[in-house]
This record gives sequence, structure tokens and C-alpha cells, in this order.
Amino acid sequence: MTNKSIEVVNFTKKFGSFTAVDNISFDVEEGSVFAFLGPNGAGKSTTINTLCTIQEKTEGELRINGNDVTHQKDSVRKDIGIVFQESTLDGKLTVDENLRLHCDFYKVPNEKVNERIAFALELVDLADWKKAPVESLSGGMKRRVEIARGVVHFPKILFLDEPTTGLDPQTRANVWDYILKLQKQEHITIFLTTHYMDEAEICNKVAIIDHGKIVAHDTPSDLKKQYATTTMKIKTSRGDDFAKYITEHKLTYQRENHSFVVHVTTIEDVLEITSLFRESIEDIEINKGTLNEVFIAITGKEIRE
Amino acid sequence: MRPIKAIIMRNLMKFVRDRMRLFFTLLMSGLFLFIFSFATKSIGINLAHPMNYLISGIIIMTVFQTSLNNSMSILEDISSGFMKEILVAPIARWQIATGQVVSSMIISTLQGLIIIVVGIFIGLDVDFIHGILMIALMCLVGLTFSSLGLYLASITKESANYQLLVTLLVLPLTFLSGAYIPTMALPKMVAPIVYLNPLTYTTSAFRYVSLHMENQSTAELIASGVAFNINGFIMTPAIGVVLIMAMGAVFFTLCVKKFSDADFSRVKVFKRGRR
Repeated sequence: MTNKSIEVVNFTKKFGSFTAVDNISFDVEEGSVFAFLGPNGAGKSTTINTLCTIQEKTEGELRINGNDVTHQKDSVRKDIGIVFQESTLDGKLTVDENLRLHCDFYKVPNEKVNERIAFALELVDLADWKKAPVESLSGGMKRRVEIARGVVHFPKILFLDEPTTGLDPQTRANVWDYILKLQKQEHITIFLTTHYMDEAEICNKVAIIDHGKIVAHDTPSDLKKQYATTTMKIKTSRGDDFAKYITEHKLTYQRENHSFVVHVTTIEDVLEITSLFRESIEDIEINKGTLNEVFIAITGKEIRE
Repeated sequence: MRPIKAIIMRNLMKFVRDRMRLFFTLLMSGLFLFIFSFATKSIGINLAHPMNYLISGIIIMTVFQTSLNNSMSILEDISSGFMKEILVAPIARWQIATGQVVSSMIISTLQGLIIIVVGIFIGLDVDFIHGILMIALMCLVGLTFSSLGLYLASITKESANYQLLVTLLVLPLTFLSGAYIPTMALPKMVAPIVYLNPLTYTTSAFRYVSLHMENQSTAELIASGVAFNINGFIMTPAIGVVLIMAMGAVFFTLCVKKFSDADFSRVKVFKRGRR
């Protein structure tokens, strides 16, 4: 049996008459990466804020490593690290001072503070910027400081609320390298919300939330199997034979002379087709279904909306 | 203890780096000293040392105003997002409040000390015992009004509102406390407000100590506006100190309660469209 890092049962949060989160349940296994996707205003941040004890639930049960977020706030706070959507650094202090303050708050043993800060800054490639005031750094660097701070006390669970929003693609890729490196090294659980579908691809489990409700919850590949299609574009000289074969196998396709676009469901289909028509294939192109398609299929809108 | 110490050190560090703030408080105090030294002379009340009388009032008002202004920093922390970092940390809420209040007290007392040093050059007589008592009183005033400030800041939640509230409070209360204009010189009409004003007792207690009035009779104390005869009840500086202590205790408790409220950070969440 695997341990649950996060357990949420029938969680509801209302602001006055507005229901931000409507009776959701899910859990996250220890050591896994979990992505929480949804359009703006779907209830992602509300869920994160409640899980990290700065907002009270209206109803339901939420537990972090078995500790209740309403009644055992201190135990919960000790176990988590958070990178918020917005900056929560003290701009007037230096990078080092920000991290040191964090170590004091989380009671990192004094003799380990220097070592931990060095480790965290190394992880995000900012060791040379230790003495720089945070306000003098670029947006991407601030984000990296924030990530370093989120992990400097070695949390068991790391919450990342759109950690890479507003970063350029290169920085975004780097930040993810750092996060995954750390996740493997320290075996921490990651709870992520994001706008970027490619970020969700690397997660073990994905939950899609819309209008305060969880509308899908599965592994990325299973979600794609259910909601997205893989297409194979193929050009063959034996067009009629090909069409006959595809129809026999009940696969849908579009034909244009010798070119076909076939919707395939399993990789076996692809292998069989290609081996049968091997000598007649002139061109082939396979497009895998994406989580973006899944998202649109489920919520009816682009995540960027 | 470590988180409290960390919060205090951070706030002190920020204060030291923000030299403009220190400069303007001192400039204000200097200006008040300059303006009201003329006023005190022209009012024509018989005071043994009018300058000392005035400067002791200015010292304690500096402590009071600095305490209230310091609480602005938590509003800055809320809007910069840093308050979230503090609120999600495993720190007991009373420790957060204590760290904020104590750091504000230290800053206010330090500013008061600077004016005392200026006062010594003008002729304020400070010996060891009285010096210690003055510091103790400044700390008490700092604690009480930092708690008040923090509480007001936590309920107004926006720095524009807070500034308005503070101006609204500070102006009448300081002018009706006897700090700049002796209470004896104020019109009889405002006497009820003077007696209800906690700053009246803050000022009188501090004057009592800094002007070495412990050998004077009650009548003499009343004549110099340090004790008050309120319909036959003699309000001595000692009672004043107890009052300020009680007030401090009340507001500090309210602050802790406010910080324990988990939805304290909601201000921000709401502004961003209730995500």
C-alpha cells in the first residue's frame, strides 16, 4: 500500500453565495507529481490556499500527510513548501537573507543553514547571486529564488501554483529541470497547477477542474486514450487495398487520392498497418494526441482563456 | 523564540536600510520643537523649564507616532505578498504578532532616544535612574501603540485607508494631549476630550519622569499639567501608566486574535478575482 501525501474528501469552499470549489475529492500518492489543471477561476488557487492553511474550508476533509489542515495547522505547515503564483519575496532583502529568514521560520538546524542555502541556490543556478538584493533581479531569477526558498527546508510536499507563468521558454525549461532533479533526489511529492500542457505531460496524475468541480482525473496517457486521438498520415500506392483494410478494422479515416489520415487508438494498429503495407508506403507521419486536446474536449475551451 | 527573533531582526534591518524614514521623523520632531518653542513662550504659563517641558512632550509623541507608522510595514508586507510567506510558515500566530510589535517598539524607542540626546544638548537633565525610567516608559508606550497600530492596520487592510485613519487619530489626539501645547492653555471646552485621550496620560507620565517631578505635591503637579483633577478624582501619572498598560494588553490580545484568523490573507485573494 502506498502512502497518501494529500487527501481531499468532499471539499467545498464558498465565498458568500459564490461556490469556488464544489464538493471535490482526490488524493495524491507520496513521491508523485500531481497536476491540477483548469481555466482561470476554476478553483485551483482556492484549493491550494486551503491545503496550505491560509484559508478556511467551508466543508469537507483535507489532510496533508495524515494531518488535518483545519485542526493541525502547525504539523501541516511544517511538511509543506509553497511557490505561490505571485511573488512573496522581500525585495529589500538579499537572496541570502530571504533564504535565511525562511530557514529561521522553518527551524532548519543552525549548523545546517549554510549548507542548505548553498544546495538550494546551486539547484537553481543562483549561487553567484547570493548577495544581490532581490529587487535587483530579473523576473525569471526571482522565480528561481522563490523555488529555491520553497525547497530550502526540505519539505515533504511541494506546492507549485503556476510556478513558470511569465517565464521565457528557456527559463521555463531550466526551472523544470531543477524541480524534477530535486523531486528525484529528495523523493518529494509535487502538487502543481499550470497553464502549460507540456508541463502536465510529465506528471504522474492529472486532475482537470472546471467551475469548481473535478471533471477528469487520470494519468496523462489514459486521459489521452479517452479524450484525444492519435492520427497517422500515410501515403501509399495501394490506395484501394489500404482503404479496404482500414474499413475492415473499423478505423475511421479520410482519403484524398493516395493519402489517408487514419485515427488510430493503439500503437499495435500502427505497427500492423506499417508492416502489412511496408513496401507501398511512400510517406508517413504520426501525430500523437495532446493533453491540450483532452482539455478542450472536457472543458470546451482553451486553457489560456 | 527563533521565529520571533527572525521577524524582529528583519524589521530592524529594513528600518536601518530605509534611512529616509528615519530622517523625516527626526525632521518632523525638530520642526515641532522649533515651532512650539515660540508658542510655549508666548502662551505665558509659568513653567520652570519651558523648553524641557516641550521637548519631553515631543520625545513621547515621536515614540507614539513612530509606533503607528511602523504598522504600515505590515500593510506593505501584505501587498508585496511577503505576509503570505509568514502566514504559511509553521510559526504560532502570537509569535508573529509579538515579532511585529516588539520590532516596532524597538524602532520607536530608538527614535525617542535620538531626540533625548538632542534634548540633553538643549538642557534636558537626564541621570542614570531617570534615563532607565524614561526608556522603560518609551518601551511601554511603544508596545501599546504598536499593538494599536497593528490592530488598526489588520482591520483596515489597505494602506490608503490606514493612513487616513492614522492622520484622523493622530492630529487631534496629539494636539489635545498637552504634548505640544500645555493642557492648561487649552480651552475648557475640550477638557473632556483631553481627559479621555490616552495620550494625555502618556505625555504626563513621561513628563513626570523626565522633568524629575517626584518631589512635587499633587497641587503642583496639577498646576503643571502632569496630574489632573477630573471632577474631584485625582488622575496621577501612576494611574496613567496602569491605564496605558491595560490598553496595550487589550490591543495586543486583539492583534493575536486577528493573526490567528486564517482568512487574514484573503484581501489579496479577493482582489485577484476570487480564484
